[in-house]
Amino acid sequence: MTAAPDALCRHCLLPLGRRGFARTVNGESCQFCCYGCCIAHQVKSGSGEASEAAWLLVRLGVGSFLSMNIMLFSLLVYSGAFAGADRRVLPTIQLLLWGLATPAVLILGEPFLRETWSQVRRGRLSSSALIILGSLAAYSYSTLAVFRLGGHVYFDTAAMVLMLFTLGRYLEAAGRARASRDLAPLLAAESESATVVEGAEEHRRPVREVRSGMLIRVKPGERIPVDGLIVEGCSHTDDSVISGESRQIAKTVGGSVLAGSINLDGPLLIRSSGSGDESRWAQICRSVRDALRQSSGTQRIADRLVGAFVPVVLALAGLTLAYWGQRLPFDQAMLAALAVLVVACPCAVGLAAPMAHSLGIGQLARHGCVVRSPGALEALAATRLIAFDKTGTLTLGRPHLVDLASDGVGEDEVLARLAGLERHSEHGLARAIALAARARGLDPIATENVRIVPGRGLRGIVAGELVAAGSAALMHDLGWQVPPALVERADVMAASGHSVVFIGWSEKACAGRARGALSFDDTPLPEARATIEALRALGVQVMLLTGDHAGAAARVAATVGVDDWQAGLLPDAKRIALDQCRPRHGAVAMVGDGLNDGPGLAWADVGIAVGSATDLARETADLVLPRGGLWLLPWVVGRARAVRTSILTNLAWAFGYNLIALTCAVLGLLQPILAAAVMAGSSLLVVLNSLRLERLPGPSYPSALQLSAAARPASEPQPREQAQRSRQRLEIRHTWGESSPRPEI
Amino acid sequence: MTYYALLFIAGLAGSFHCIGMCGGFACALGGDPRGPSATAVRHALYNTGRFTTYCFLGGLAGGLGWAIYTCLGTRSQLGVQVLSESLNAAQRGLAVIAGLLMIIMALQFFGLRGRRVTTGFGGSTLVIALRSLMSRRGHAAPLAFGVLNGFLPCPLVYAMVAQAASTVDVLSGCLTMAAFGLGTFPTMLAMGGLGRLLAPRWRQRGVRLAGSFILALGLVTLGRGIVPMTASHGLHHIWHFA
Repeated sequence: MTAAPDALCRHCLLPLGRRGFARTVNGESCQFCCYGCCIAHQVKSGSGEASEAAWLLVRLGVGSFLSMNIMLFSLLVYSGAFAGADRRVLPTIQLLLWGLATPAVLILGEPFLRETWSQVRRGRLSSSALIILGSLAAYSYSTLAVFRLGGHVYFDTAAMVLMLFTLGRYLEAAGRARASRDLAPLLAAESESATVVEGAEEHRRPVREVRSGMLIRVKPGERIPVDGLIVEGCSHTDDSVISGESRQIAKTVGGSVLAGSINLDGPLLIRSSGSGDESRWAQICRSVRDALRQSSGTQRIADRLVGAFVPVVLALAGLTLAYWGQRLPFDQAMLAALAVLVVACPCAVGLAAPMAHSLGIGQLARHGCVVRSPGALEALAATRLIAFDKTGTLTLGRPHLVDLASDGVGEDEVLARLAGLERHSEHGLARAIALAARARGLDPIATENVRIVPGRGLRGIVAGELVAAGSAALMHDLGWQVPPALVERADVMAASGHSVVFIGWSEKACAGRARGALSFDDTPLPEARATIEALRALGVQVMLLTGDHAGAAARVAATVGVDDWQAGLLPDAKRIALDQCRPRHGAVAMVGDGLNDGPGLAWADVGIAVGSATDLARETADLVLPRGGLWLLPWVVGRARAVRTSILTNLAWAFGYNLIALTCAVLGLLQPILAAAVMAGSSLLVVLNSLRLERLPGPSYPSALQLSAAARPASEPQPREQAQRSRQRLEIRHTWGESSPRPEI
Repeated sequence: MTYYALLFIAGLAGSFHCIGMCGGFACALGGDPRGPSATAVRHALYNTGRFTTYCFLGGLAGGLGWAIYTCLGTRSQLGVQVLSESLNAAQRGLAVIAGLLMIIMALQFFGLRGRRVTTGFGGSTLVIALRSLMSRRGHAAPLAFGVLNGFLPCPLVYAMVAQAASTVDVLSGCLTMAAFGLGTFPTMLAMGGLGRLLAPRWRQRGVRLAGSFILALGLVTLGRGIVPMTASHGLHHIWHFA
């Protein structure tokens, strides 16, 4: 049974790879990456009545029973307990050992033999071939010795090699499953089922069959399967899988809930607001699954080496046998060759990268950060320069009105007309204008026929007269004059780094003119400065690349503490700027909001989107942080570096260990049993080294002290509140976004 | 012989401690529907599995002790005198380590446990593993269950393994653990039948008793290491051959 090459192991959630095989567990077809995962999965999921489930454990137990007896008697023989007067019993002991070893080799060797056979049929040699060859050689020689040749027997070698490798694989699989613990809730999105309420009946259905408008019941403690609105009940939810923030949020009737969050304490009835496989949770799930299926460059090199390893080792074992065969008795030469076979099993090398990757991806995912490929993590670890986009990344992306100048009309009229016009817009500035108008108690003036002038602004009709708002260029296009007083004020506004909007209208069918200028400011995120300082502390250089004008860029750069900035960049210019940095800094990462800077994110070595509102599947970034998750960035960089360090130490360890052990084995200095123990220990150490990643601290939001270092207007809300609001905000596509120049004079 | 009898008694007393975890397993292993004799076979197999693991661990520990002993011995090659002296030193060092370990374990029995080092990643994995074997029928399952059960982290077993290592011989190590394992037989076999009849108060007393035994054994082993060979010869003599 050949598994699809891109499937994931049922137990450890790593890609199946070459050793993959399928097995039926509890009547369900499951795919495993190795024999160890197969045992471990059955141990975990096997209940008493499932016959196959416990069978492998029984096999392990009975195999251990036999091997331990063999080992014990062999130890007694080696230690000379049967020397002297008891010498006569030796042949009987050997016969007993043979009787114990035959079932042991059959029981323990069968899975390895099966794996070897399935690989050989596909024209490949796996490490199981080495193990099976080694133990069978020891067993056959010893059997011959018992019945024909006489002399020493090595049943203990045959049985213990199989025993130790079975045990090693089992423990390895247990460790890997632990590494993927964080991934489980994310990957559950596809296999999850929902309780659908239809009239008086309730059915369990797979999430992918849930359609918009269906009623879903969620019990306390369950994961909410789809996005929706609460129809009945109240509870608290934990959204950490989606938002990255682990805290309880109170929910009552009418409140919205997100798929993937956990319903903590009360039963809920939810009306689904979209089909099950469209939720962000399902998207994250698909994205993580894709990421796990890919292998990084390091991993590909390691895999290639492992592939070449087995034939080389076979040849080496043959040479060892030939060399020592001429100098030592045959059985000792055979032992040296067996040690070579057994010690060269490259399990640890194959394990080095995937385990660290799945741990890293899982931990990032637990805090709402989605990694698109393991390679991105490794690239981020090597990055020494991070370029930031400005709007929506370092700033809240929610401008507010700062200044208003009018010429010949009242300020209130300017604002009321502007509010009437902008009511038809979804532009970021429109909110600011509506808020300002409401603050002054103004009613927006009804406007008809409102149209967007791309990259310029808006125009509409009030009582038959044309009204327009936008950049100076729009006024110019309409042939409207801007009075010198307004030009002067607007210059001052722009010089202080604010965005400027003109508004004008025509009167009595004459040509209109600009009658007001308003300036808006976008507040830098409270955590931006602390984040950038933390990145610097990690040895990462920071720069600002923005499409906004120089004044705004300089002001934000000064506030958040970035020295290096470039303004007025069109998307293509951002790409060129990134290219210019590459020779000096190597890999370059770009952080943006994923809306207007897609090309830049795609062009950088690592594209990082913060709070992306776009469909994850269409997202071009390699790494997606949750909304308002800029503060996570230093932690993510630290984590990426830890993953890379872990991979490198794993590889160095696995290769170094193999090479040293192999040298010892070739020189005849290593007993095969010891070699097997050494190899089982090697993969166990790689597992334990990777699991160290688990113990690194989680991200922490910058403290109040760090935040207060960031200059912010006194009237702004408190940082925490503000950051949360920014998380909840709806992304509004800017018609004058950074991809097109902002309105300016 | 007295030595092994002592270990047997230690196992007997110590098995009150076993009731906590392993006794629970023995109870859960339950009876066989085919009748009392089948049930007896089931529990005998379980205990045989456990016994085998203990003997194996004992033999291995003894072998390891022997390996350390000869390793340290052969390092100095100045002459027979030095060799035997350093051999003595190695054996004494092992005895000190084993004695200290046993005393620490004994103190755990009296409730003076510090950080629990006994159960970790491997232990929890094994316990999960065992659960799925519990209710399986047939002869192989209880045997496998017993074998794996023997590997479960247990301070009593650790103490005895330390003792086995200090014997510096495979056979003695194996016999040490065998005597101890046989000592645990009566209680564990009984657990299969009378199960939860034993009051917790009695269990508490049993655990204390086991602790006292281990403590005494630990002190004697420690003494064997610390007191100079010539002076302790009498003690040593009594210990091994009395």
